[in-house]
Amino acid sequence: MRLRRTLAFSRRALLQFRHDRRTLAFVLIMPLLMILIFGYTFGGDVKNVSVEIVNQDAGIQEGSSPLLPQGLHLGEMVIKNLDEQALSLHENTNVTNARQTVHDGHAWAAVIFPANFTQEFLSSISSQQGTIPAKIEIYLDASNPTISAEVIKAVTQSIQATLKEITADLNKTQVEIPITIDPSYEYGGSETRFIDYFAPGVISFAIMMVTTMITIILFVNERRNGTLQRLLVSPASESEIVVGYALAFAVIGMCQSIVVLVAAILLFNITIVGDILLALIVILLLAFGHQGLGILLSAGAKNEMQAVQFIPLIIFPSILLAGLFWPIESIPSYLQPLSYIIPLRYGIDAERSIMLRGWGIGEIWVDILVLILFALLTLSASVVLLKKKN
Amino acid sequence: MKVSLLLQKQVSCPTCKTVITCTGSPGEIVKVTCPSCGLLGKVSFEPTFDALTKIVEIQHLTKTFGKFTAVDDLDLTIYKGEIYGLLGPNGSGKTTIIRMLCDLLKPTSGSTKIFGHTLPCTSNKKHIGYMPQDTAIYLDNTVHENLAFFGSIYGMTREQLEAKEQEMLKFVNLQDWRSSLVSTLSGGMKHRLSLACALIHEPSLVFLDEPTVGVDPELRAAFWGYFGSMTQKGITVIITTHYMDEADHCSRVGLLRQGRLIADGRPSDLKKRTGTTSLEGAFLFLAGRKKP
Ligand SMILES: Nc1ncnc2c1ncn2[C@@H]1O[C@H](COP(=O)(O)OP(=O)(O)O)[C@@H](O)[C@H]1O
Ligand SMILES: [Mg+2]
Repeated sequence: MRLRRTLAFSRRALLQFRHDRRTLAFVLIMPLLMILIFGYTFGGDVKNVSVEIVNQDAGIQEGSSPLLPQGLHLGEMVIKNLDEQALSLHENTNVTNARQTVHDGHAWAAVIFPANFTQEFLSSISSQQGTIPAKIEIYLDASNPTISAEVIKAVTQSIQATLKEITADLNKTQVEIPITIDPSYEYGGSETRFIDYFAPGVISFAIMMVTTMITIILFVNERRNGTLQRLLVSPASESEIVVGYALAFAVIGMCQSIVVLVAAILLFNITIVGDILLALIVILLLAFGHQGLGILLSAGAKNEMQAVQFIPLIIFPSILLAGLFWPIESIPSYLQPLSYIIPLRYGIDAERSIMLRGWGIGEIWVDILVLILFALLTLSASVVLLKKKN
Repeated sequence: MKVSLLLQKQVSCPTCKTVITCTGSPGEIVKVTCPSCGLLGKVSFEPTFDALTKIVEIQHLTKTFGKFTAVDDLDLTIYKGEIYGLLGPNGSGKTTIIRMLCDLLKPTSGSTKIFGHTLPCTSNKKHIGYMPQDTAIYLDNTVHENLAFFGSIYGMTREQLEAKEQEMLKFVNLQDWRSSLVSTLSGGMKHRLSLACALIHEPSLVFLDEPTVGVDPELRAAFWGYFGSMTQKGITVIITTHYMDEADHCSRVGLLRQGRLIADGRPSDLKKRTGTTSLEGAFLFLAGRKKP
């Protein structure tokens, strides 16, 4: 293998990208758009979820309970403590009407405080066993799990806040409030947002998509235009062709990752706790492996149109099974083994471990090893494929 | 086997300066009469190369695609400094032969030696130039980038490239388009660039698959002139065409029909043998006679 010749391939491919603005835009803007769209839709917390509030709680009057001589309107307090940013509240007096509003899709939930809410709360804490717990009814449109989770979270937080206030007011301290939630975080923290989890995945996914697609298109064109024949007649070897292109994709992958990372840091202030250099090495391995895959797939397409038909074949398994949006643990258990054969899985896992957990090579060596093997396998198979004559 | 080669040489008449194209074999001295002033003179053709060096030796070369035989038992020897023309209608197997000679296609049977080495052989590769039938150049690169790329994969240095690129651009008449993207060029211009890319590394054996398709007559004549000058440097040119008229420029032609070589020889000999005035006539005569 001669370096000069190998570099001639890289140089030509990079010059081609410089002239081909459309492809360049695809390379850089596609991942940027992804991070923007997903960042803004999933990235922040859910805001302004419309909720119907029906407060029928009668409360207890001043002086009617020895525990709380000044009286209590628990429902009112909980409502006051609801997160005004997350939920947009509409007071309603009619339960049926509130449910209808949810049913009609005009609100995501109806939160209903029954008339004896405070009463039941008091009796449940005064009788030590807790007879009937006080009940808040939440009538949910759970078609969007993120939103319904947000409603429940907001109500739970508000109850906690309210209970804290009451304990301060309670005359007697022997009463223990049954529920306290004290979350502890192993990695990340309460401030880790979906975007932090998502960014390493987007970078890996973008590298995979762009490298595979562009390689397929480049090699379909090499074949169809006849340039590949010229290369095969020339003294250049098949491995020089493959390595030459790999170097070009390494440069492109680096630019791409840096653009996406900088955008994610500037726009969403994402946290990277690990070694950026290691993160970039993982990116390179992903790019090399998928370049090989692209060359292999290009043999199965006669023109660009046919090449485009490979896109869903590549995208869907990666989106669904590689843990891009959802953790692999959340996919059906009989599908989970499939994720092991998707190389992107290891890339995403490694990038997340590096960026979110700050892990080093000692912890993610399995991912790296798999990616190295994948790259070696596809690249050498593509050298063999190029050598094949009919 | 006695082989006669035909060389072309351009001389200018010492009195009236008319440019005369004369033909002859290496070492031969031919008598020439100036067409405008009638001056009689002699032109000598130097024995610049060993006319009997075998460059390409093809034996029983056959290629079948399924049941279809595209090339049928081809035997052919091509010598140094020849312009050998593979001549035949579309589908007669010209491209298939070239692709086998370039080791892009495995023959079904038979063997080929190039520079004395039996194919497949990698050590030959740097001396071979190949212009495929498709315009095999990179559309999203400039003219210059294409020439530089193909030159450098043949190991040319920057200095060698610079000098040769100028010569090539001038030859294919693309000097003004050096920095243009290939995708913006016309079909004929792409074709010319493709030819330049096949010749930039100064190969000693050149395969040109239909190099004159879509090239205007004036440039076509220039092409043939250039090929002629290449053979004088000892370069061997193997060319395919389905334009029977331009095959007169070849030192030798092989007439192909349905994958079979139906005749092989100097254009003038073929015409003489068949009693026709053009190669087209010769082809029709031979094709008709060979019909089952
Ligand atoms: N890869 C192939 N598969 C099947 N048939 C082929 C293939 N390549 C060429 N042929 C057939 O072989 C014949 C000769 O083709 P070709 O060599 O391209 O002819 P020419 O270059 O003289 O026009 C044609 O009939 C063509 O259809
Ligand atoms: Mg052809």
